[in-house]
Amino acid sequence: MTRPPLHQELFLIGHDQSGKPLVHQHSMALGLAGAMLLDLALSERVTVEQGRIAVTDPTPVGDAAVDSLVPMLARDRAEREAKFWIKKLAEDAYDRTRQSLVASGVLVIVTRRRMGMLPYTRHQLADIASVVRASAGVRSAVEGWKQPDGRGAALCGLVGALRLEAELYLDQPSARLIERLREIAREHSPVVAAVVELIDDMLGEAAVAVFR
Amino acid sequence: MQPQENVEQFGYRQELRRGVGLTDLVFYGLIFMVPIAPFAIFGPVYKISGGMPVLAYLVGMVAMLFTAASYTQMVRAFPLSGSVYNYAGRGIAPPVGFMTGWAILLDYLLVPSLLYLVASIAMNASVPGVPVWGWLLIFVAVNTVINLRGIRMTITLTKVLITCELVVLGLFVLIGVWALLQGEGQGFSLSPLFNPDTFSWPVIFAAVSVAVLSFLGFDGISMLVEESAGGSAQVGRAMRLALILAGLLFVVQVWVAALLVPDPAGLLASGSESAFYDAAASAGGEWLRHVTSTATAISWGFADTLVAQVAVSRLLYAMARDRQLPSFLAKVSIKHSVPANAILLVSVLSVGIGVWAAQLEDGSGVTLLSSLVNMGGLIAFVVLHLSVIVHYRVRGRSSDLWSHVVMPLIGMAILIFVIVNANILAQRVGLIWLAVGFVVLGVLYARGRRPTLDDGEKAGLTGIRSP
Repeated sequence: MTRPPLHQELFLIGHDQSGKPLVHQHSMALGLAGAMLLDLALSERVTVEQGRIAVTDPTPVGDAAVDSLVPMLARDRAEREAKFWIKKLAEDAYDRTRQSLVASGVLVIVTRRRMGMLPYTRHQLADIASVVRASAGVRSAVEGWKQPDGRGAALCGLVGALRLEAELYLDQPSARLIERLREIAREHSPVVAAVVELIDDMLGEAAVAVFR
Repeated sequence: MQPQENVEQFGYRQELRRGVGLTDLVFYGLIFMVPIAPFAIFGPVYKISGGMPVLAYLVGMVAMLFTAASYTQMVRAFPLSGSVYNYAGRGIAPPVGFMTGWAILLDYLLVPSLLYLVASIAMNASVPGVPVWGWLLIFVAVNTVINLRGIRMTITLTKVLITCELVVLGLFVLIGVWALLQGEGQGFSLSPLFNPDTFSWPVIFAAVSVAVLSFLGFDGISMLVEESAGGSAQVGRAMRLALILAGLLFVVQVWVAALLVPDPAGLLASGSESAFYDAAASAGGEWLRHVTSTATAISWGFADTLVAQVAVSRLLYAMARDRQLPSFLAKVSIKHSVPANAILLVSVLSVGIGVWAAQLEDGSGVTLLSSLVNMGGLIAFVVLHLSVIVHYRVRGRSSDLWSHVVMPLIGMAILIFVIVNANILAQRVGLIWLAVGFVVLGVLYARGRRPTLDDGEKAGLTGIRSP
């Protein structure tokens, strides 16, 4: 069975069953943008070196949201840093990921009314199995049951950066879990380590930004 | 030396969206300064200036215009959103940058306490049944919840708040002038600008040391240099415009208020912190007292604290991430995207310092806190002027003596004169604070963690703020 893209798995871990985000939407958007970039880097479509992105293979990876980024990155004559692109991607990463999950049937749109009057829309899980599958690899890696591949290590790093460790339901202190998740990302490959560290920095900067 | 409009020379690229226009920058500076700031400190300024608050504000504006000129020079040289900490570190040397950051930290840490205290005094003037310390606890609690929830000032909200403040100010001026025409107060007079019976430069500069509080905040515009649509040139223009606009508004309101003071001799003796509201009441009745005091409470207690909290958090976060402050201050809440530890620390400090200042006799808490806040800012501005001279003249051999030597020297001289004439306790606390800073710097050196500015990102986070 084909695994969903990294950004979709991160989105699923970052929301509860009713579709409510577990972290600030701007933080989640930065994490999703990092996941999209890692989707491309781990599929060897782009390289991320010294904070710069270079397109090496424009072939689609099979995910519309991620594939649409390649032409944009390839057109970048100014060779702007990865940080610039993560900010840019974060502008609509949340909506794009959510739409792709709706399109693939993982999320369903539900409209309800608060106190029977005020309507609101939620994107709920169609089947809880999808989020269990998404977090299974991270749990295995943390517990040492299975050596993570690049995607698994990247997801570990991003889950740690977004402080979603409680969603793994592991009986370990939070600080130790975070450290382990970061360690897995750091040890796997330079590109995973670099992008996760970048996302970590950007989450801090977003928290003290003048406007956002 | 040619100005450099390029952040890439410092090892990093233009990243932030360049989309904030001149008007937005001016409005941001104004919301930081608070166009009705003199409402809150009119009494102390009136007393210390010997009844010449207009002259105190004019001298303050001139001093700040020189400072803005030096800011413009340093923003052109280093177009990074780092402000004075960054400019001193890069323009002179990293340890000087650390000490400048340390000086401004005094200002940053105390400013929320001052804002809450002023807002609480204003609310107490409207609802005396709740004591000042009670209002202070309410303001701190509400703001802490707002800040922890990640609610942030937006460009639109900035404009709305400025408009509301200007409407209240316009109302006061119109009714005040009308009342003067009807024979209320002392009638039209030049004495708020110049009174030969009480005039002396030390008196005026002592008043400037408090009045300058109203101008601090124009420098917050430099935090947005990387987002400025017109780059550093636009930031310089915005600073000058915001200062001149604010200066004119301050002069008009304190002039009208000074002429409406019901008991000038009594105010010269007491320096009452509700003097402006008393003047408003004498012009328009009790309802105008409530309007002006409520406007002050909202402006200082909510609008300004929202932007000040961000600025304080930026400084604490950046210095902690540079390992110059305890690391817990560099931790942020991802759930709400806020620097939760810094917010809680500032809230605890605000309650402690604010409640203590509220208990001081004769309402001298605002004057003392203002002097301390200003002391931190003024010391940092003196170093800023020095940075211009060192960076352009000493290192760059600039031939533009007027911009790079004479103007910074004049600006520095005015500020030093203000510092020398400031509140004695503020001077002592300022010196002790600097001495502690030197000790911390020594410890950092001893532990092999001497300040560096290699990582522009971190330095760039350190913005400056003020009420």
